[in-house]
Amino acid sequence: MSLYLDNAATTYPKPPSVYRAVRHALEEVGATPGRAAHRKAREALGMVAAARVQVAGILGIGDCDRVVFTKNATESINVVLKGWLRHRDRVVISGMEHNSVVRPLRRLSSLGVVFETIRCRPGGQIDLDDFRKRLDPSPRLVVLVHASNVNGALQPLQEAAGMCSKRGVPLLLDAAQTAGIQPISATDWDLGMLACSGHKALLGPPGVGILYVRPDLDVLPLMEGGTGSRSEDVLQPEFCPDRYESGTPNLPGIAGLSAGIEFILERGMDRIRAHELGLGSMLENELSGMQGVKVLRPEIRGTGAVSFTIDGLNPGDAGAILDEGFDIAVRTGLHCAPLAHQTLGTFPEGTVRVSPGYATTVEDIEYFLRALRALLSRR
Amino acid sequence: MLKEPINEAVPSQEADLSDEKVCAVSAWMFDRAGRGVERSQWLIKERPVTLYLNDREVVTLLCAGHHLDELAAGFFFAEGFVETSADVEGLEVNEAEGKVNLRIRSDASLTERLWQKRTVTSGCGKGSLFYYSLDALLSRPVKSTLRVSTRQVLDRVEDLNRLSQTYRRTHGVHNSAAAESDRIVLFRDDIGRHNAVDMIVGHFFLHDLSLEDKLLITTGRLTSEILIKAAKMRIPFLVSRNTATDLAVELARSLNITLIGYARAGKFTVYSGEERIIQNR
Repeated sequence: MSLYLDNAATTYPKPPSVYRAVRHALEEVGATPGRAAHRKAREALGMVAAARVQVAGILGIGDCDRVVFTKNATESINVVLKGWLRHRDRVVISGMEHNSVVRPLRRLSSLGVVFETIRCRPGGQIDLDDFRKRLDPSPRLVVLVHASNVNGALQPLQEAAGMCSKRGVPLLLDAAQTAGIQPISATDWDLGMLACSGHKALLGPPGVGILYVRPDLDVLPLMEGGTGSRSEDVLQPEFCPDRYESGTPNLPGIAGLSAGIEFILERGMDRIRAHELGLGSMLENELSGMQGVKVLRPEIRGTGAVSFTIDGLNPGDAGAILDEGFDIAVRTGLHCAPLAHQTLGTFPEGTVRVSPGYATTVEDIEYFLRALRALLSRR
Repeated sequence: MLKEPINEAVPSQEADLSDEKVCAVSAWMFDRAGRGVERSQWLIKERPVTLYLNDREVVTLLCAGHHLDELAAGFFFAEGFVETSADVEGLEVNEAEGKVNLRIRSDASLTERLWQKRTVTSGCGKGSLFYYSLDALLSRPVKSTLRVSTRQVLDRVEDLNRLSQTYRRTHGVHNSAAAESDRIVLFRDDIGRHNAVDMIVGHFFLHDLSLEDKLLITTGRLTSEILIKAAKMRIPFLVSRNTATDLAVELARSLNITLIGYARAGKFTVYSGEERIIQNR
């Protein structure tokens, strides 16, 4: 039995309709959207426009033209950090952020940007009192990961967004783990920016990320180039999404993302969320009862991702044993989030992370638990 | 199955002078002046022995051809194929054909899948010191209150040398011993340093005895493989007259094993776990 439990990295398998959509875009459509007037190009443009409407719908973005397709969530975050922050700007982030936030900020700190970290509770949730204090004086930007990619900890986003909105501080929401599984209302929550990937809970293929920037925020683009619009002008268009979408779009990826969202809407996001959170809780409860296993329990679970350590066994070794011994794929180590592991007390070895997805079954989790018990019995 | 009780496992002079391990061959000896003379020379025997687990071939070892039951049991126990002597159904030794078959009633399929599989590290997080995931699974930091004095360490190494009559005759074997602080309780030698240690491990395993309060003394280099073997047996002291490797030292520190090298000529070097050494005045 081969078991994939690394859905927090990327969902696998994708719904069959996603594979079909990618293939259709490559084989049947083929053309570049918005770059020509021929029918195939118009069809391609229509597919991208339809995907923008779907993304706007699932992320609660009022104006679908504010939906920008990027390469991935990391690129979306980089656009915001490098296009919005200036010398001596102050940024407040949570202690659960991914390297996609921390590494660009480290680089920007050499250019005079300063960032500070909100204190977190033991499960990874930000301390709202500490957060409130850090909003005075107002920072230039707040960055919050909606749910941790390490242990699935969900942040009190609506409270935090309300506090930011009240003070006029833009909030960049990293929804890489939650887009497609948690309800998000970018416009209603008055988010400044939102970044997410299309290949995790949105069920699309890798290679497509999403960026939203509130209309009043003048975030400079990371790249300039051909957009298929106002080509006579030597300057980059100021309007969205063209301002941030230079170069040929990833039509097969966007088509696959569109099919992924369609699948979510058909099955129901609430149902998928209940399924994944149920599997996460099942894992958490069973693991907590195992001798020598320590589970990194979040205060509030936002995804099915569960992280744990085994006394005296490096997570990498545990992952290798699960892989070679039981054909189970999990992710081990720091999950590209060393800051989160420092916050949770599991740096530098990290943890074993088990992340079920929409396609994972209760029987799959039972198989994993049996395998882990067999592993532990040899300790 | 059990041939000898533990207190009779240290060889007597007569036992070691038997022809079980050595043989004589005729050879020519030359000196710098070009003079040659034919002499009879003692050599250690070398035999291939194939180990089977429940009739399935696992590995062929080159060894001196003695204590094959212990060698096989020690190998399979140290490598994680069998956990307790209660799991052993039978041990069939065919010395003439160089075959040993260990029959077990427990499930060894996990070990078979993991055996000698190299751990692939992702580069995301501090990696493991172990290169085989099975070793990582079976090794744990050693907890022990055993304390040994400097004099006792040197005396036990002296004991090992004194017992090594085959080495003195052939210069062709490695010696190993399990020792308590005041005496050696089991001595074994073989052409391979791993084999000699596996025989010790196998003897204790077959007699359902623990090595957790013993010193393991060897004449071989202190490499990661020997260190990991000691860790799997929960042996708190590993002593050699030879040197250690850097990985062995790193593992010893991580696994809380007292690692002693260069134990000869009245001195020794402690690489790890020096708190277990009592200094003689």
